[in-house]
Amino acid sequence: MLGRTAQNLFWLSRYIERAENMARMFEVGYRMSLTSRREGGASEHLISMMQAAEVDEGFDAKYKLADVKSVADYMIFDEANPSSVKSCLLAARTNARSVRTALTTEMWESINAAWLEFAAIRPRDISGAKLQELLFWIKQVSHRYRGALLSTFLRDDGYAFSQLGNFVERADNTARILDMKYYVLLPRATMVGGEVDIAQWTMILRAASAHRSYRHVYHDRYKAWNIADYLILRPEMPRSLAFCVDWINRTVHMLEDIYGTRTGAHDAVDAVAELLEGNSVDRIFEYGLHEFLTEFINCNNRITDALAESYNFY
Amino acid sequence: MSATPFDEMHNADGSIRDPYLILEEWLKDQPPQALGLMSADAESLFRRLGITFAVYGSNEGTEKLIPFDIIPRIISALEWRRLSKGIEQRVRALNAFLYDIYHRQEILKAGRVPEKLILNNSAFCPEMMGLDPARGVYSHIIGVDIVRTGPDDFYVLEDNLRTPSGVSYMLENREAMLQLAPELFQRYKVAPVETYPETLRRTMESVAPGGIHGAPNLVVLTPGIYNSAYFEHSFLADQMGAMLCEGQDLFVEGGKVFMRTTTGPERVDVIYRRIDDDFLDPLTFRPDSMLGVPGLFDAYRAGNVTLVNAPGTGIADDKAVYVYVPEIIEFYLGEKALLKNVPTYNCTNADERAYVLEHLEELVVKEVHGSGGYGMLVGPASTKAQREEFRKKILARPDNYIVQPTLALSTCPTFVDRGIAPRHVDLRPYVLVGDDVRITPGGLTRVALKKGSLVVNSSQGGGTKDTWVLED
Amino acid sequence: MQIAIRHRLSLAIGTGIARAVQHLLLTPRTGPTQTVREWSIDMPGFEAAASFVDAFGNRAHLVSQTRPEAELTIAVAGIVDTIDRNGVIGRLPGDIPPALYRRPTALTKPVGAITGRFRTVPKDGQDRIALLHALMARVSEVVGNGEQGQEQDGQGQAKAARPPAADFAHAFIGAARALEIPARYVTGYVLADDGPATFHAWAEAWDDGLGWIGFDPGLAVCPTDRHVRVAVGLDAVSTIPVRSVPVVGEPLVLAMSVEAAQ
Repeated sequence: MLGRTAQNLFWLSRYIERAENMARMFEVGYRMSLTSRREGGASEHLISMMQAAEVDEGFDAKYKLADVKSVADYMIFDEANPSSVKSCLLAARTNARSVRTALTTEMWESINAAWLEFAAIRPRDISGAKLQELLFWIKQVSHRYRGALLSTFLRDDGYAFSQLGNFVERADNTARILDMKYYVLLPRATMVGGEVDIAQWTMILRAASAHRSYRHVYHDRYKAWNIADYLILRPEMPRSLAFCVDWINRTVHMLEDIYGTRTGAHDAVDAVAELLEGNSVDRIFEYGLHEFLTEFINCNNRITDALAESYNFY
Repeated sequence: MSATPFDEMHNADGSIRDPYLILEEWLKDQPPQALGLMSADAESLFRRLGITFAVYGSNEGTEKLIPFDIIPRIISALEWRRLSKGIEQRVRALNAFLYDIYHRQEILKAGRVPEKLILNNSAFCPEMMGLDPARGVYSHIIGVDIVRTGPDDFYVLEDNLRTPSGVSYMLENREAMLQLAPELFQRYKVAPVETYPETLRRTMESVAPGGIHGAPNLVVLTPGIYNSAYFEHSFLADQMGAMLCEGQDLFVEGGKVFMRTTTGPERVDVIYRRIDDDFLDPLTFRPDSMLGVPGLFDAYRAGNVTLVNAPGTGIADDKAVYVYVPEIIEFYLGEKALLKNVPTYNCTNADERAYVLEHLEELVVKEVHGSGGYGMLVGPASTKAQREEFRKKILARPDNYIVQPTLALSTCPTFVDRGIAPRHVDLRPYVLVGDDVRITPGGLTRVALKKGSLVVNSSQGGGTKDTWVLED
Repeated sequence: MQIAIRHRLSLAIGTGIARAVQHLLLTPRTGPTQTVREWSIDMPGFEAAASFVDAFGNRAHLVSQTRPEAELTIAVAGIVDTIDRNGVIGRLPGDIPPALYRRPTALTKPVGAITGRFRTVPKDGQDRIALLHALMARVSEVVGNGEQGQEQDGQGQAKAARPPAADFAHAFIGAARALEIPARYVTGYVLADDGPATFHAWAEAWDDGLGWIGFDPGLAVCPTDRHVRVAVGLDAVSTIPVRSVPVVGEPLVLAMSVEAAQ
């Protein structure tokens, strides 16, 4: 396989995952802004969500007022925002076109159809119920692509690079959501969350599509300790760091089996796995949640560099 | 050439020509809305598959779909036999010509083709002198543009020996027809075109450089996803199981060509390159090329890799050289040309130029180095201002233009807004030359969708049809 | 005469380069006027280089490096025996048809001040040799004095130094081709009477009787046993001794000596 093909497959999956994450983040901010009863509260929720998504600086440079329309414009439709849903879908399709021959027809069609449909949407037609529909549709795009990948793609090196892109991006996303809001998760004098905390906790869980499954796992009200545990260490939670790292780990070993050699990428993955192995929420809090997450994000980034180095991305 | 163009479905008396009898019946049986629905199905099928092309000069990234007409164009076995004989003769002669002008240049010494026309031509590639391509083949992949003006009258409009495009449309059009009208294939014996990718593979393998162990490694070299024919590059690579590479994926080391894979360098033996000569290798050709592979031409020259097609083949399809093709066929094969050339006026000759300038309204003017219908004047469809513009151009640079009579291109029934109507068509059959000459039975039929229009180029509002060659 | 040549060049590639390739035209071939006794090129990657004959009959090398140093040093050394044939090279087996050398190039545009007076002169048979000598004299004079006619005035800033040999060769070739005489560009080494040795350039023109004949309008002589031919081509571009991708600027000559061997 060409090094460039591996690179394109890796980034194709990353961009699809990122598009989904952006839609989900926006949805969280949007919902919270709808339920806010305070003066200026709607705007605050949107801004807080943009901080978590790390698009606030770009937004501030371009817009004065954060309302649903301007934020939707920026996060969904703005091509100048490299993380907007539109930019992600376009980048995904561009990568897909480059590796057209390495994709199954089903994978290609899911991406191509998504882009063609999305490109035909006029932002001014999107409001109210249409906006909810669109967000749902964006998430569906990602699910369709993953479905096509899982059910049609040959389990070879191409599959491995696709999966690596997917889980490296997802781990990064979950870690960033946690890191932007880490302070609301820190143990405090009062262990009972106030109103603001509950709102923030809900936001974190929703951003990771975890607000309903949380109940299934913990049978408890929202608690900071549980939330950190859930999103960092729980192996059954599909967006947790542990889950992502487990997949990454298994996938690089698959590459080792296929190519018959261990590379620097394996060392980079080991370094991330070590951060989680045998760790507990108490120890993470003791170490410092922010410090832990920063280290995780850096180690996770190094996986991309190591893959590029080991498998001739360029 | 008669005033009413030859219609491929109807005889002059309105009766149906033999090859179209079954089709005509089928068309009559279709419920009123059926063709429209089929047309829409075909369009969504092509769009989903990503069969698009970029239009030069429009916004970057704009992708258009070449309109597909669901009524096939049908050629009888007998007609095809005649055509393919003529095509084979032509491509053999043109390859012999290329070999000669890049070696001893006998045809120039014999004065059969003017020396200056070749040696001073920008399409002539001096770097190719003395190079011996595998099997002596220069142009392996050829598309010959043919028009028909009567039951037995076929003219070659143009030979394409550089990187003829469109073969993916030939293949996808057939796929679409098989899906849309399977019942027609049960009633007609249509020669298959699906063998093309496998034949292309075999052709490429047959011209691999010597000394290779095992199957040669084949790649398609594309300028990348923004090229107008990118779909075709990826399609062909996929269909024949070759790696689709960009220049950055390849490198030259120790005089050999390698591709960069996830497990390190892998040797490349035959490259079907869809990058123009100028951009192929910044070390030898344009130094500013970002698309090519530095050192590629030297590796080729050293005999370590085969380029398909060879650089410098453009000299054989130069419009100014076109006039001499019948001469070229006679010189190398000792035969008369089986397919006719369109009579062509030479504007550097004062008498012919005077005639041309008098009759611009009836003639077609083509720029010698133009392509794709650009830089062209179609007299009967032109305005006075356009004719005036070309008059000045011809006077300023008579050697830069060739002029031909306007041919009454044959028409084929075509599905248009108001039902079925005749539209002008041409035909581009595809030829592969390696250990043998192989012509795919069929080709790309391009159709001018505008009523009365003679310009079939996709960039100028043309569409395509599936082309059926019937078997006996 | 036996001539010993040493030539060291430095080529700037740039830093952090993954791969570099060079095309070298730095190897003389044995022919009617010279016998190459010894010749060597020393540079990174040369052991694995592809060696082949180019379109114009030159010995070319394709050299490549992975992660090269920012600068490459190329060391050329050799010994060549030469004989004086009054510039006559003749016909060489495998030579490409001379007609090709009538092809105009951007660097060999004819200069009116040179060609003008030769347009009506007879140029066939015995007359051709006389014509070519007269042409060489005229080129020497016109280019040497910097009066290249109006076409060249744009670049004609006052320059005291003698124009480079390439200018003389191109002017000669352009004029010859304008007169329908095939002419080609030659690079090589010259044993100089005084001054530093340089990588030199001259021209060869075609005569149906004698074949290729050398003319060195830069030195206003026909090449002698002091000239060592390295490469021929249409013009300076097709005979560049070192082409490289990537490259920063022109190769720098570190040292050159062309000496009569002991």
